[in-house]
Amino acid sequence: MDMAVKTPSSPMQKVMDGLRAWARINSPWVIHYNSGSCNGCDIEILATLTPRYDLERFGVKLQGSPRHADVLIATGPVTRQSRERLLRIYEQMPDPKFVVAVGSCGLSGGVFHGCYNIVGSIDEVLPVSAYIPGCPPRPEAIIQGVVALLQSLKPQ
Amino acid sequence: MNLPLPSIILLLFFPGGLFLIASGLVYQWADRKLVARFQNRIGPRWFQPLADVFKLLAKEEIVPTGAIKGLFHGLPIVALASALTAALYVPLAGFNASYSFQGDLIVVFYLLSVLTICIGLAGANNISRFSIIGATRTLTQIFSYEAPFLLALLGPAIAAGSWSISKINIYAQENVWLILAQPIGFVVALIGLMGKLELPPFDAPEAETEIVAGALTEYSGRGLALFRIGKDVELVIGLTLISALYLGGLANPLDFLWKTVVLLLVTAGLQALFARLRIDQTVGMWWRVGALLGLLQLLAIILGRLIGPLF
Ligand code: SF4
Repeated sequence: MDMAVKTPSSPMQKVMDGLRAWARINSPWVIHYNSGSCNGCDIEILATLTPRYDLERFGVKLQGSPRHADVLIATGPVTRQSRERLLRIYEQMPDPKFVVAVGSCGLSGGVFHGCYNIVGSIDEVLPVSAYIPGCPPRPEAIIQGVVALLQSLKPQ
Repeated sequence: MNLPLPSIILLLFFPGGLFLIASGLVYQWADRKLVARFQNRIGPRWFQPLADVFKLLAKEEIVPTGAIKGLFHGLPIVALASALTAALYVPLAGFNASYSFQGDLIVVFYLLSVLTICIGLAGANNISRFSIIGATRTLTQIFSYEAPFLLALLGPAIAAGSWSISKINIYAQENVWLILAQPIGFVVALIGLMGKLELPPFDAPEAETEIVAGALTEYSGRGLALFRIGKDVELVIGLTLISALYLGGLANPLDFLWKTVVLLLVTAGLQALFARLRIDQTVGMWWRVGALLGLLQLLAIILGRLIGPLF
């Protein structure tokens, strides 16, 4: 997901790149997809979006449409059934886009590892930018993971 | 106050164009922040709308298969342009309207509707089922609030005896606030504005929990950014219009600021207070209650004008 510029760098270009990176870091809209989790992680994600944690202060907004989203928060192992859907949602998102895998299952398959109906972890299907371990991870952990992802977008 | 500026500056910088977009973003932030505070949250940072717009502008724009390309790209531009045009006829920021003629009240009213119609068409232009349901709802809703809203704007026009917003503005400054003389009209106008902007409780056309994002489901990047800016601009113009008509007119920038902010406080409170209405409830409410109240107000004004001279 390298958005590095291929044009020669002029001062104007630098300013524009800085602006773009700034806007991207400060306005991540997320979409949430469950590709076969036990629903534990999803409940934690919903808890993260409640007024108690109020992610809107970082500019995070939950979107319904993949076309509006920048970050795909995926939970659970990828089952054979949902593999196609997961890919399709990812392909519907406009560039630049990022994937965050939430929960042990998303990282490795977790308790479902080796099941007959499982393709495997999320990174076997999609390029994952951030992993958030835990079964399920606490809302604080999810926030830290997303913030870490956003920090990594800062131009060096 | 009058603005002695050449037309090009009026159009591009102040009060049209840049100033209007900037104030639209500020008002969007204020609205979101107020709703967040009412919900006991911290809310977005002050630059949030700006970051959203820049991000959307820098994003890839996907044209879905089945959509007509020209319409897909053209509709957001028409929507924003008509919203910006409407600003030339209202006393924005307390300065006299840049242009005015008899009947500009109606022109502004329809220019503000163009945005909604564009959103409806943009939804119908796609083959995605969510866009189409959203478009149907958007267009259904426009038919429900439009008539009562127009009736509510007629009241001040009849009272002032003029169809020009600038004249009504001057009349409102010289007389008792029309919110006192025509309270029903004010309520209908304010709630009509919320319906126009699809704010909760009238956000059935873009209900995330049912139809993803309504008519704009398939829009990404620039188109979405333009539609969002258009809505923000419409928020500012709507607030200006209602405070000019009902809250004693806008004489100077300070007047503009406190009157629109008070209105924004009220609308944000209503947004936080009410849950979303179903689309049939919205239509029912507008036609059974809203239109009736509007007519009642009109009747009262006409009676007042007939009986008034007798005493
Ligand atoms: S990580 Fe734990 S909570 Fe999350 S989906 Fe797997 S088993 Fe469920």
